[in-house]
Amino acid sequence: MAATPTPLEVRNIKKRFGDTEVLKGLSLQAQKGDVITLIGASGSGKSTFLRCMNLLEQPDDGDLIVHGEPIRFKTTKHGREPEDWKQVVQMRAKLSMVFQSFNLWAHMTLLENIIEAPIHVLKKPKKEALEHAHALLDRVGLTARANAYPAQMSGGQQQRGAIARALAMDPEVMLFDEPTSALDPELVGDVLKVMHGLAEEGRTMVVVTHEMGFARDVSSQVIYLHQGLVEEAGPPDQVLGNPQSPRLQQFLAPKY
Amino acid sequence: MLDISTWFNDLLAGNVIFTADTLGYYWEGLVTTTQLVFLSLIAGLILAVPLAIMRSSKHKWISLPVYFYTYVFRGTPLLIQLYIIYYGVVFIDGIQESFLWPVLREAFYPALIAFTLNTAAYTTEIFRGAIKSTAQGEIEAARAYGMSQNLMMRRIILPSAFRRALPAYGNEVIFMLHASAIASVVTLMDLTGAARFVYARYYAPFEAFLFVAAIYLCLTFAILFFFRYLEKKLLAHLRPQDA
Amino acid sequence: MIDLQGYGPRLIEGAGVTVQLAVLSLILAIILGLLTASAKMSRNWFLRRTATVYTTLIRGVPDLVLMMLLFFGGQIGVNAISDMLYYNYDVDIYINFNAFAAGVLTIGFIFGAYMGETFRGAFMAVDNGQIEAGKAYGMSSGLVFRRIRFPQMMRHALPGLSNNWMVLLKTTALVSVIGLTDMVRVAAEASRATHEPFTFLLPVAVAYLLIASVSEWIFARLQKHYDIGFGGH
Repeated sequence: MAATPTPLEVRNIKKRFGDTEVLKGLSLQAQKGDVITLIGASGSGKSTFLRCMNLLEQPDDGDLIVHGEPIRFKTTKHGREPEDWKQVVQMRAKLSMVFQSFNLWAHMTLLENIIEAPIHVLKKPKKEALEHAHALLDRVGLTARANAYPAQMSGGQQQRGAIARALAMDPEVMLFDEPTSALDPELVGDVLKVMHGLAEEGRTMVVVTHEMGFARDVSSQVIYLHQGLVEEAGPPDQVLGNPQSPRLQQFLAPKY
Repeated sequence: MLDISTWFNDLLAGNVIFTADTLGYYWEGLVTTTQLVFLSLIAGLILAVPLAIMRSSKHKWISLPVYFYTYVFRGTPLLIQLYIIYYGVVFIDGIQESFLWPVLREAFYPALIAFTLNTAAYTTEIFRGAIKSTAQGEIEAARAYGMSQNLMMRRIILPSAFRRALPAYGNEVIFMLHASAIASVVTLMDLTGAARFVYARYYAPFEAFLFVAAIYLCLTFAILFFFRYLEKKLLAHLRPQDA
Repeated sequence: MIDLQGYGPRLIEGAGVTVQLAVLSLILAIILGLLTASAKMSRNWFLRRTATVYTTLIRGVPDLVLMMLLFFGGQIGVNAISDMLYYNYDVDIYINFNAFAAGVLTIGFIFGAYMGETFRGAFMAVDNGQIEAGKAYGMSSGLVFRRIRFPQMMRHALPGLSNNWMVLLKTTALVSVIGLTDMVRVAAEASRATHEPFTFLLPVAVAYLLIASVSEWIFARLQKHYDIGFGGH
């Protein structure tokens, strides 16, 4: 059996904003079917780390290997930059990101949002993209809202729509950046249910989240970040069930 | 001092175009432009205040005629307005016999009238916008203290509206300076007229027009800095206090 | 009806020149404005500085002076080029310095500076998350521009664009001074010849108001189009 390349591997990522070093050398390896959750207090660098994985932020150091292909970097007077933006664009098409504030394109209907990148980036025929989009809308329970604009939808609907948009790319890895943090509490459940389903069908996912229940139930690996470093990492029952460091213990302690 | 004047004379002697003669034309042009712009702005301002108050009136029969005036004067080119007044003034009945004729016969006054009516229309709309954006609370406070409509307009609304209108009015002043260039079309020897004269005489478009462009640029910056200074002084109360 | 004393067809022709001149200048101004806005937002120091000098100079000098500079200077420049070609390369071509083209170039060049400011503000008003989402889905910067930045920017740019267009329309009247036969020139000539200025100048003034009203209607429709998805306005 031929070994399939690792979908996503990052090594020793470092990033500084001005004088503060927010990522001090972080690594992660997502094998096919892995669900990796990144947890940590705000300011721990977890979102920045995730954004370095598709180069929405440019890491100052470290390697990024997507589907076995390392991204090439060069150093310019503006700092470290990808050598070939075409390579980055192709890489990004293999990873799709779900944002905290959804970022559905406001001037397009939900359906148009979903078929936009498949048609213009993946060059899929429109008919095929539409069929796929309708199946995905059905899956996230938004068939009735296909022609609604994002501003006309609730936050929960927008986020489920954004997940459908991500799925339409048939991504190698899905990146979730605090997908439920901007939602009203009663809407969180629907989004988590969709994400549960994705984990069960074997999607490779990297999830930045505050939802400990989700982390416990579905992740294959939990990484706890503190001030730009990995403080603890491992399977959920180990990291969440038996935390070693006092900081993680405090982080997990029920809040009153 | 002597050194500078000999240096300047040498400089002038070295070129054919910028002789004392042509510089004299530019100077004359500068005076005409300044007079035209300054006088029309003053007259326009005086007209605009009552017009803006009328334009803000709740009564349609007061505000609509003013709106019609500003709509027409802001919607058509100043050049057309200038032509209508310049060519049309002859046809006013009895004008040629009246004591005004010696004055109106010269291009300066039709131009002044056209510029005044034009800037008054723009300024009216600027003031109207400022009056409309008076904080409702300030009006209510004035009412609560028993101020009449007139007193309130004079003491509360207008003073704050003038200050708020200042940045937009600064733009209008610059706009008027630039628009005044068309005075040269009706044979007036303003700055642009001087440049056209020098161009025609020496067939030197770059020298003639770049020089006058530089003068306009300096005037524009002078106006800009003047209004910045005014804003700083008059709008100080709107800035957050330094700690 | 007003008796136009045979000037009717020429006035209508002149109106055609005015509209064509205005529309072509607008297109050029939009292209230059987009370039200026990108230059102003670029990382390149030289591009930023050039764009700033361009907008400052244009906004500090009267339109008519710029027009004469480019128009009269352009003629000399073109002559110099054709002389140079003739003496150095023995190429004998007569480049006709077309007054209409010069008008379009000048007005487009002037309003490109104003459009640049409008577009810069509009681009900065687009939510960055919208652009990031495009990038995150593998769109090239060209595709992001075409599919996301531009359509979303237009919503913010339209009020300024409409304002610039109204000023541009009136500015076209100045070409009559440098020898182009637009409707203002026809009307001025007719006024002088017939000594009936109002007969010709007033209808031209009304024509400007008409064009302005029609464009207002078009801009309102465009605004509606680009407001789609952004809730009521």
